[in-house]
Amino acid sequence: MDVPAHLMSEARVERGKGRRLNARHRESLWFYLIISPWLVGLLLLLAGPMVYSIYLSFTDWNLFNAPEWVGLDNYVRLFTRDRNFGLALGNTFYYTLLYVPLNIVISLAVAYLLNKRLRGMRFFRTVIYLPYVVPVVATTMVFRWIFAPTNGQLNSLLALFGVVGPAWLLDPGWVKPALVIMSLWGMGSSVVFLLAGMQGIPTEMYEAAAIDGAGERQRFFNITLPMLSPVIFFNMIMSIISSLQTFTQIYILNADPNTPNNAINMIIPYLFDNAFRFNKMGYASAIAWVLFLIIFVFTLLVIRSSSVWVFYESEMKK
Amino acid sequence: MNGRIGLAEKISTYAILSALAVAMVTPFLLMISISLASDSTAVQMRFTLIPQEFEVSNYVRVFTTPTIDLGRHILNSLIIVVGSMIGQVLVSSFVAYGFARFHAPGKNVLFLILLSTMMIPGAVTLIPQFALYRALGWLGTFAPLIVPNFFGGAFNIFLIRQFIVRLPVELDEAAKIDGVGPIGIFRFIIFPLIRPIAVAVAIFTFQFNWSWFLEPLIYLQNADMMPLAVAVRTLSAVTSAGAMPMWNLVMVASMLLTIPMLLVFFFGQKYVFEANISGGSAGVK
Repeated sequence: MDVPAHLMSEARVERGKGRRLNARHRESLWFYLIISPWLVGLLLLLAGPMVYSIYLSFTDWNLFNAPEWVGLDNYVRLFTRDRNFGLALGNTFYYTLLYVPLNIVISLAVAYLLNKRLRGMRFFRTVIYLPYVVPVVATTMVFRWIFAPTNGQLNSLLALFGVVGPAWLLDPGWVKPALVIMSLWGMGSSVVFLLAGMQGIPTEMYEAAAIDGAGERQRFFNITLPMLSPVIFFNMIMSIISSLQTFTQIYILNADPNTPNNAINMIIPYLFDNAFRFNKMGYASAIAWVLFLIIFVFTLLVIRSSSVWVFYESEMKK
Repeated sequence: MNGRIGLAEKISTYAILSALAVAMVTPFLLMISISLASDSTAVQMRFTLIPQEFEVSNYVRVFTTPTIDLGRHILNSLIIVVGSMIGQVLVSSFVAYGFARFHAPGKNVLFLILLSTMMIPGAVTLIPQFALYRALGWLGTFAPLIVPNFFGGAFNIFLIRQFIVRLPVELDEAAKIDGVGPIGIFRFIIFPLIRPIAVAVAIFTFQFNWSWFLEPLIYLQNADMMPLAVAVRTLSAVTSAGAMPMWNLVMVASMLLTIPMLLVFFFGQKYVFEANISGGSAGVK
């Protein structure tokens, strides 16, 4: 208490500095301590396996002998001698390029309808969302009957319009569109995302446009669509990544002897067969990396093109 | 939003939405109808959209027939789902707390890495992980399906982090003055407050693991240990003897697989929609 005031404050500053440094160190330590479970998982379950998988893709490995180095052999074989891989690749692209745009266009149209201020929209929203929560296994089981050639519900509906429907899942030419229809049944999640985006658009924008004499169509294409483009962008990337990795439906349908296997096989089911049925772990690892590159390129293309078609409100303020 | 809606527009909107609703409901109805069909209808594959028969006993047989025994598969699914939920909720929120409340060199880079790991296709790590679990002697156990959840999930960490960032820091600071340590702050302040997003994460984890197919198929190997989703497909597979699958029972199993998902959706939709909006669409802006 006898210490002069100015000395005391000086001492406090000195001590404070030391403590602050210490505190900063301690905070860093706590940060790394707290995130350590994730960090360990990242190294053990992701980074480590990824490196190992690159190595495996240059080897021949049947799980029982030591992996044998074969250089680029696996990759060369994939692209020059493996007709089945070409088919799987083609089917995956066909499915993805048909499903992703259709999903976005139809979801957009449905979200647009649900956004109208009418009674009962909550009910419709729920009904449209529900199929999304149904596990793919169950969806596949029931759609076998929806798609049945003679008394299936889809062909019965088509018959009402005088159209003779194809054999869908049994017809090599129609099996992929059938898979797309099956996936579109679960579009509820995209619809809800887009609807939430639409409801976030300020009403003043529409009012101002209406005063300027903009019609319904103009308002949709000049306000709704640009304001929604970030949501569409996000949706598009996620659905591309997931459809390139389609597995469960194909695996289930492939077990049926009537399924046109060549028309339906895709990259992940083909990888699965090589790895877990034929024990060709090195070859399957090479397939995994080709898929990784494909996903990377697709994602990059969408991101690159986004500067042209994705509109961020924050950019306007610059 | 667009002013008054005319009658013609009203009618056409309702017409389109109703047609769509019918299309959405049809598969559910068919699933119910087939699950209630008798064996003779199943053998002839003469199923109707509107149930003509009500063989409720199908729902008992799948539990009492020893070769089907769905009870065991439901139990397997529950073990996987509950174990994963505990891991994801506890660890993801703890890690998220670290990202939201602490400063450290390298944090921003790590957060970017966290985000980019969400884009890595699972296929790339499938084979080396299989080799890892095989070396650990974990094949044929639930461990490869449950343990990884105790390292947290990137998407869940991101989602919870976004939530914690919006909580006032003053709460932490008040507790700090009272001498509560970082763990205590998480335990007593943060964790109780993130309940809504923790529930959403629990729901997502439930939905994902309940319908999970590929990894259980690879790691469990033994048919007795398979979760319900895989058991449904086993039931539907044509046996080597060439016998046709019992489609009515396959559909009962599909119903049992679907109903918990619908229940979780109905009781949890409030949390899910909120989390979707804060993490998905708003998150990229």
